[in-house]
Amino acid sequence: MEKQEQGIFNDKNIVGSPRGHIARLFIALFIFWLGLSGTIEPKIIFYGVIASAVTALVTYPLLLVDSEDKTKKYFIFDVFKYKFACYAFWLLWQLILANVHVMRTICDADLPINPRIVRFYFRMDNPVAATLLANSITLTPGTVTVNVEDDGLFEIHALTDFTAEGVLDGSMQAKIADLFGEKFDFDPLPDEEGE
Amino acid sequence: MSADINGIREAIAAIFIACGAIFFIVSAIGILRLPDFYARLHASGNSETMGVMLSFIGLIIYEGATITSLKMVFVFLILFFANPIGTHILSKAAYKSRHKVWTIKEISAIKALLEQKEEDQHADLHN
Repeated sequence: MEKQEQGIFNDKNIVGSPRGHIARLFIALFIFWLGLSGTIEPKIIFYGVIASAVTALVTYPLLLVDSEDKTKKYFIFDVFKYKFACYAFWLLWQLILANVHVMRTICDADLPINPRIVRFYFRMDNPVAATLLANSITLTPGTVTVNVEDDGLFEIHALTDFTAEGVLDGSMQAKIADLFGEKFDFDPLPDEEGE
Repeated sequence: MSADINGIREAIAAIFIACGAIFFIVSAIGILRLPDFYARLHASGNSETMGVMLSFIGLIIYEGATITSLKMVFVFLILFFANPIGTHILSKAAYKSRHKVWTIKEISAIKALLEQKEEDQHADLHN
């Protein structure tokens, strides 16, 4: 046990400091504990500190993901910073716009839909970026991430022309790349005529 | 005085919950109207984002700044992160098993076929 912890703390491949990561994880878990228990009794808080510390230490190695060439390890929750809040609010606004659009489409008497699969390539070193992008696209009504290949091919099912353009114009991809402060490859593929 | 403020708060909460309910209804209509499996997933996405969000905002306003509201925020955040994963897994399973994607072309093909049939019937009648 002692040796394993030493290994984690001295791992040079981890981006950022492991101690800082564990401290942040501990604080987040402890706030979660306080929120759920809702009391500030010393006994309960003492249990909370112990439970959060053990959970943070045990789960930290599981929360590391390898980069594409396996030379670096990223901490999954490294994303949740001040920039992420800006992104969350931007995504919320996009959600409202897309929701109103899909609502109007569904309630339209003509049902003006054009469902199809659109494809694009999006490559980044950090695999969390691909996860976040796929999750954001699925969360937005009118677009569902159907498949993500290992080489960075995203296959998105879009309900209408408007939502398909929203995925292919690259604004969400640029925002996510900005979030991670890395360069990224993005190129949309043209529609395939005929399945 | 305090009764007044409570009344206003309850009214605002009711408006939010009603707006959320509208999105749930629209999503149900969408599931009935849209043509195939993939398209119906979009309709469910409508309710699980805006519907849930507005209902939760309404409930939090109704509840006030208590520990229950904080727990609602936790539930809401977990729902927001977990829901797209379920939708994605469903659609991925369908895609991997080569479930056909409905396109606008099919409806025009069917229309052309129907017109052809009608013409044939006319021709039969005249003969």
